Amino acid sequence: QGCVDHPIVLTEAVCNPLYSRQMMSELLFECYQVPKVSYGVDSLYSFYHNRRQTWPCSGLVISSGYQCTHILPVLEGRLDAKNCKRINLGGCQAAVYLQRLLQLKYPGHFAAITLSRMEEILHEHSYIAEDYIEELQKWRSPEYYENNMHKMQLPFSNKLLGSTLTSEEKQERRQQQLRRLQELNARRREEKLQLDQERLDRLLYVQELLEDGQMDQFHKALVELNMDSAEELQSYINKLSLSVEQTKQKILQAEVNIEVDVVDSKPETPDLDPLGSEQSLEDVESINEFEPLFAEEQPEVEKPVAAVQPVFNLAEYHQLFLGTERIRAPEIVFQPSLIGEDQAGIAETMQYVLERYPKEQQAVLVQNVFLTGGNTMYPGLKARVQKELLEMRPFQSSFQVHLASSPVLDAWYGARDWAVEYMTREEGWITRKDYEEKGGEYLKEHCASNVYVPIRLPKQAPRTTEALAPSRVLTSSAGNPCEQA
Amino acid sequence: QSAGGEATNENKFLNTDSSTGSVETTIKPLPFKDPNFIHSGIGGAAAGKKNRTWKNLKQILASERALPWQLNDPSYFNIDAPPSFKPAKKYSDISGLPANYTDPQSKLRFSTIEEFAYIRMLPSDVVTGYLALRKATSIVS
Repeated sequence: QGCVDHPIVLTEAVCNPLYSRQMMSELLFECYQVPKVSYGVDSLYSFYHNRRQTWPCSGLVISSGYQCTHILPVLEGRLDAKNCKRINLGGCQAAVYLQRLLQLKYPGHFAAITLSRMEEILHEHSYIAEDYIEELQKWRSPEYYENNMHKMQLPFSNKLLGSTLTSEEKQERRQQQLRRLQELNARRREEKLQLDQERLDRLLYVQELLEDGQMDQFHKALVELNMDSAEELQSYINKLSLSVEQTKQKILQAEVNIEVDVVDSKPETPDLDPLGSEQSLEDVESINEFEPLFAEEQPEVEKPVAAVQPVFNLAEYHQLFLGTERIRAPEIVFQPSLIGEDQAGIAETMQYVLERYPKEQQAVLVQNVFLTGGNTMYPGLKARVQKELLEMRPFQSSFQVHLASSPVLDAWYGARDWAVEYMTREEGWITRKDYEEKGGEYLKEHCASNVYVPIRLPKQAPRTTEALAPSRVLTSSAGNPCEQA
Repeated sequence: QSAGGEATNENKFLNTDSSTGSVETTIKPLPFKDPNFIHSGIGGAAAGKKNRTWKNLKQILASERALPWQLNDPSYFNIDAPPSFKPAKKYSDISGLPANYTDPQSKLRFSTIEEFAYIRMLPSDVVTGYLALRKATSIVS
């Protein structure tokens, strides 16, 4: 019917560029005729879903997704956007790193090491070490390696290339080759005979010219033939007649030797011609030459071969051994220098963010460190974060780390909760009227949203331009939350 | 869960999935879309009829920087984490163990003698691959 007639709750990036929000609002309001829209940050929705005490509460949200990792301090239920930090590393970069590591370690399996297999390895076989250096020392010992190394089996097929024929077939092929060679040789001989004959006739004719006394014509002919004197002509004639005799002999012999019916076939395949030897080669020799060529040309036959001895165990060749890669790949988000990024890792960025606050607020924030996002599902992440906090907080201060109940889906649940609660209220929703008056980048703040900065973007289409201050008028109605993956 | 907002706002076409029933092909009628809608991104004066002038992230950020921000306003580029103050720990390129040594010929880091033997046998493209992984390749070689 040309419109969407229910409100939409949408997630956007932390500190979403105004241009992007404008594009999005334009699409929603003008193209899909949505009645009202609410924008929010996904990790804040997740935080909202996992709230324990009465709302509003404060905490430090660490959300690690596919593309990037955010550290967001939340004070009294509102995002403190000035002090957020974003590290541009996430699950995607970890998968690419793992892929390159394995490709360099196993250059033979370059194509088989795909990103989706890497993600599977990350999801199921990787963990975050609580103390990275200590864990690496453990991996030095061979027994630990043997016990904890994971072998990943790549798919492979057991088909062997090359000739997989039985001996009878080989014999038959040999006979076929023989036959073909014989045909070829016979035809060649005939052609040669013909050519030689013609040449011989010509030379004889020139000689006759000499005998008849027509000197000029004789000399002209000699020049054409590229010869210098009559003696040379004579010697040529002798040689030629000799070879003609020989060729005739061979033809007679070959005809006698052929036992099989030589079918009058089309001209022989041209690829045998380059290897065509001179007439002096024995047939048997040429057959031997042709065998290996034939084997290559033969298409792969599907028959199983039991006779071939395996040189190595094919299954083992197609296995990838994962040792320290299990902890190296997820570690990049703590130590970006593994990849060459010069941003700080999670621990250091947490410290940096905390230090922008006075001590009391630091203590408050640290009491509720909240981990969310798909990239936080590694076993061992919570322990690692706790250890890092222990290192950076003052002696004997307390802190608490919580994981989201379902890190991947909590943002959706949080958005659903928010929408259900604010269904009939007006706070946080941008109506179509607001969009028209105040432009596409307008944002109404609410507990899980970005902070709105009142800057107007220059528009392509003509619109009314009004400067405005962020108003905290809150509007809402029945909502249907939408998760954007 | 991903930081979905970025993906959302960069690729506008993905957002059609937010309304149920809307299909990507242009042949079927789209039930939720207003048939008379033309996006303001299309048909810029310089772009011509066919191309939609979508901006990529760099262009978006560049134009965002040009806006009149206040000093403390949060914006997409203000939020980037600062570079690290602590010196980076060195790990072996092959095994990931802490590496004390560097091969002067290929600049790869290693931690044991066996690794060194392995490094010396590597073909040059694998060596460059390891260095590129660490972003340690130098343009002037």
